[in-house]
Amino acid sequence: MKHSQDLNEDVAEVLLSEDQIRVKVTELGKRISADYAGRELTLVSVLKGSLPFMADLMRQIDLPLRIDLMEVSSYGGTATESSGLVRILKDLSAPIDGRDVLLVEDIIDTGLTLNYLLRYLRGKNPRSIKVCSLLDKPARRLVEIPIDYVGFEIPDAFVVGYGLDFGEVYRNLRFVGVLRPEAYES
Amino acid sequence: MSEVGAQRGARPEYAFAHASEAEFARILDFYQVAFEYEPQVFPILWDLDGNVLESFAPDFFLPDLELFVELTTLQQRLVRKKNRKVRRLRELYPGLKIKLFYARDFRALMLKYGRSALVSELSGTLGQVGPRQNPEPEGDAISVGERKPAARPLDLSSNPSGAAIYQGASHEGRSRGARRRAVRRAAAAHAPNSPVT
Repeated sequence: MKHSQDLNEDVAEVLLSEDQIRVKVTELGKRISADYAGRELTLVSVLKGSLPFMADLMRQIDLPLRIDLMEVSSYGGTATESSGLVRILKDLSAPIDGRDVLLVEDIIDTGLTLNYLLRYLRGKNPRSIKVCSLLDKPARRLVEIPIDYVGFEIPDAFVVGYGLDFGEVYRNLRFVGVLRPEAYES
Repeated sequence: MSEVGAQRGARPEYAFAHASEAEFARILDFYQVAFEYEPQVFPILWDLDGNVLESFAPDFFLPDLELFVELTTLQQRLVRKKNRKVRRLRELYPGLKIKLFYARDFRALMLKYGRSALVSELSGTLGQVGPRQNPEPEGDAISVGERKPAARPLDLSSNPSGAAIYQGASHEGRSRGARRRAVRRAAAAHAPNSPVT
């Protein structure tokens, strides 16, 4: 994979500016605060992509809340992994039984990872579990899962930035942009 | 490390007609999404006597999601016929959920999983496996509840093109009449809007 020293050069188009994201995150935080008023909330972030979103969102929620982090393996399709199954690489650090849980995702496209995570988390008997995703790419959806809080519905393009990567690069961009094909086509 | 719940029982070993289907199946397996490969054939065109002229067997059925998935790695300009079949299927079986996964969708999926280098090898004619012994037009006809015979596991690394090597999946021994009867049974069972009664 080749990437420019100035990562901005690999971005064909800024899809969501830093300001647009900030406004939307504030709006989501207000909605979540209103919906869960009088309750305690546990935010569960799915590493690594949702980290910036989680960090910004939690500061816009005016509720007593806990945070937790999870990481799951991604399909790689190598010879050794081809017979494998998705794995929880980092599990919750505290029980969630009887708690209201909000799963925080950066992007939902096929829904395969989310489908797996929801099944896993429901097995831990939370009081409720809902999903908040900054980005929704419905054109790629395979598993239809209701998403309770969506920041932006985006077109069918390969996006990076604000936590989203390609080959572990571009996560630190402050905006969400469309990656130039030259950056991922060898 | 942990996994969701108890592991499902071993699924049947399917003989995939195309390397992209085998790769897609591996992804479903990885995320523990149950599937069946070409489990049903749906009649989509009949003559005036009620004989089935054309049928369609979507590649995958995901029972937990009640979703059929048809995978095509043909170039976009070549998928018109498949689009028509899916459109017809939706008209005739309005309660049926089907998603057509185009080459661009497959490419995006491979890109997401860092497998973009494989796209050309798993696409179009390059990804096809050995010829079927008694091919149906577009390879669609499989009767309800019947599966292709299991083949040895597909090995993407065993030839330079990366295409899955498979020989032997066939409809050998099935007469045209038997297929027609199977299609009619499927029609009766699944086509509330069809003219077959």
